[in-house]
Amino acid sequence: MFAVLAKYRQAFLVGLQSNIVYRWNFAVRGFFSLFHLAVVVILWSAAAEGRTELGGFSLNQTITYFVTLLILQFFISAFNEDYQISEEIRNGLINQFLLKPINYFAYRFSIFVAARLVSGLLVFAPLLIAFPFLREYLDFPADPRVYALGLPAMIMSALIQFSIAYCFGMLTFWFLEIQGFVILSMAVETILGGQMFPLDLLPAWAYAIAKWLPFYYQMYFPAAIFSGRITDPAVIMQGYAVQAAWVVALLLVNHALWTRGLRRHTAVGG
Amino acid sequence: MLHYAQIWFASARYSITRTLMFRGDFFVWAFVELFWMAVNLLTISVIYEHTGSIAGWSKYEMILLVGTSLLIQRFLMGFFWSSIFEMGRNIRSGHFDFFLAQPGNVMFMATTRKLDPDSLVNSLIAAGVVIYAARQLGLTPSAVEITLYALMIACGVIIHYSILVLSISVAFWMTSAQGIEGTYFTLTEFSRLPRSAFKSRATQWLFVYALPVVVVSNTPANALIRGFDGRLALWLAGAAAAWFALAVFVFNRGLRRYASASS
Repeated sequence: MFAVLAKYRQAFLVGLQSNIVYRWNFAVRGFFSLFHLAVVVILWSAAAEGRTELGGFSLNQTITYFVTLLILQFFISAFNEDYQISEEIRNGLINQFLLKPINYFAYRFSIFVAARLVSGLLVFAPLLIAFPFLREYLDFPADPRVYALGLPAMIMSALIQFSIAYCFGMLTFWFLEIQGFVILSMAVETILGGQMFPLDLLPAWAYAIAKWLPFYYQMYFPAAIFSGRITDPAVIMQGYAVQAAWVVALLLVNHALWTRGLRRHTAVGG
Repeated sequence: MLHYAQIWFASARYSITRTLMFRGDFFVWAFVELFWMAVNLLTISVIYEHTGSIAGWSKYEMILLVGTSLLIQRFLMGFFWSSIFEMGRNIRSGHFDFFLAQPGNVMFMATTRKLDPDSLVNSLIAAGVVIYAARQLGLTPSAVEITLYALMIACGVIIHYSILVLSISVAFWMTSAQGIEGTYFTLTEFSRLPRSAFKSRATQWLFVYALPVVVVSNTPANALIRGFDGRLALWLAGAAAAWFALAVFVFNRGLRRYASASS
C-alpha cells in the first residue's frame, strides 16, 4: 500500500516543482482575475442599488460568494489538464505508462493536486492586494462548522473537475482536436457551475434541474456552503450523496474511455 | 488601396475555402461562440429576475448594450483574431519572416490574413439580439441613426483591434509573454457594463477614459436608446484614431527589434 502511494508521491513532488516554475503565470492570472472581480462588484452593486437583497441575500453575501468562487477556482479548477493529457496522447508520451505499473489517472491526478496547491496558494497574493477594497463587501459565515462542512464538498468538486478534464483529454483517442469541445463545455460549466451568478437566483424549476447535474457539484456546491448560501445540514447531506454519485459515475466513464481509447491507440517508435 | 482590397479578397477567399474543407470545425466553433453569447444574455435575464434596473438601465436596454458589445467582439474575432493571435506565436517562432517578404504593409498583411467565418455568422446573431432588444424597447431608428450606429461600431472595432495589436506587440520585446491575449478578454468584460455603473472616480478614469472599452459599447447603444450624442461620438472617433496611431507606432517600433530566429 505504502509502496503504491510512494510512486504517486514522487509524481506529486515532480508536479510541485514543475508548477513552481510557472508561479509567475499563476500570479499574473490571479492578478487578472481581480479585474473580473471588479466587473462583478460593479455589476452586482448596480443591480442591488436601492434594494436590500438579491434573491434573499444581501449584496455583501453575493460579493462574498464570488470571492469564494475565485479562491476555489485556483484551488480545485482544472486549468489546462485536458490539453496536457491530450498532448501526451497525441505525442505518444502515454506509451511509457503502458509498460510501467503506474495508473495514468492516478499519476495525472497527483500532478493536478500539486498544481492546484501552487496556484491556490498564489491566488492569495493578488487577493491580499485587493483586500483593503474588498473588505467592506466580505461577509463570510462566522461559524467554523460551515468550513468543516464545505471541505468534503470541495474535495469531491476537485475530483469532478479533474475527471471532466480527463474525459475531454481521453477524447483525443477519437478526435485530433479537442479545443472546440473543451470551450463549448466551458460555456455550459460557466453557467451551470454558478460562475456567472449564484445558481439559487435561477427560476425554481431551473434550479431544481441544475441540482442534479454534475456542474452544480463541480463549483457551486462548495462555494455556496463556504459563503453561507446553503446552510441546512439536511440539504448539505443530500448534496454530498448526489456529488459522491457523480464522482463514481465520472470515474467509471474515465475508466471506460481509457480502456476503449487504448484499443484505438497505436504506439509508434520508442 | 485597390491593391490591398485585392489582397484582402484573396485572403478571404482562401479562408472560406479552408472553412469549407473543415466543415465540422466550423460548426463546433460556431456553436462555441453561440453558447458564449447565450451565457452573457442568460446572466442578464437572471439578474433582472431579481432587480428592476442596473444603474438606470432596464432589461432590454441592457440586452441591447450586451448585444452591441458582442457585435463588436464578433467582428473583431471574425476579421482579425486568428491572424493577430498567430502573430504572437510567429514572432516567437521566427515564422513572422513570412510576412516581411510579402508585397504590402507588414501590419496589414500580418493582421488580416485569416478570416473566421464562424464568428462572422455569429455577428449576424449578435445583430439579431440588438434588433430584438430595440423592438422590445419600441425603438424605430431612422436610416441616418442606423448608419451612425454602424460607424460607431466600426470605431469600436478599430479600438479593440488596436488594443489587441498593442498587447500582442509585447512579444517583440518579451518573447516569453505567452497568454497575454487572455488579458484582452478580461477587458471585454467591462464593455458589457453600463457606463453609469462606474461609480468611483478611479474605475471611471481607468475603464471609461484610459482604456475606452466602456465607451466603445456604451456610445452606440446609448445613441439607439437615448438619441445621438455628437460630443461622445466625436470622442469615440478621436479615441479610435489615437489608439490606431499608437498601435501602428508600437508595432513598427517592435518590428525594428524583430530579429527572426535561427533555423
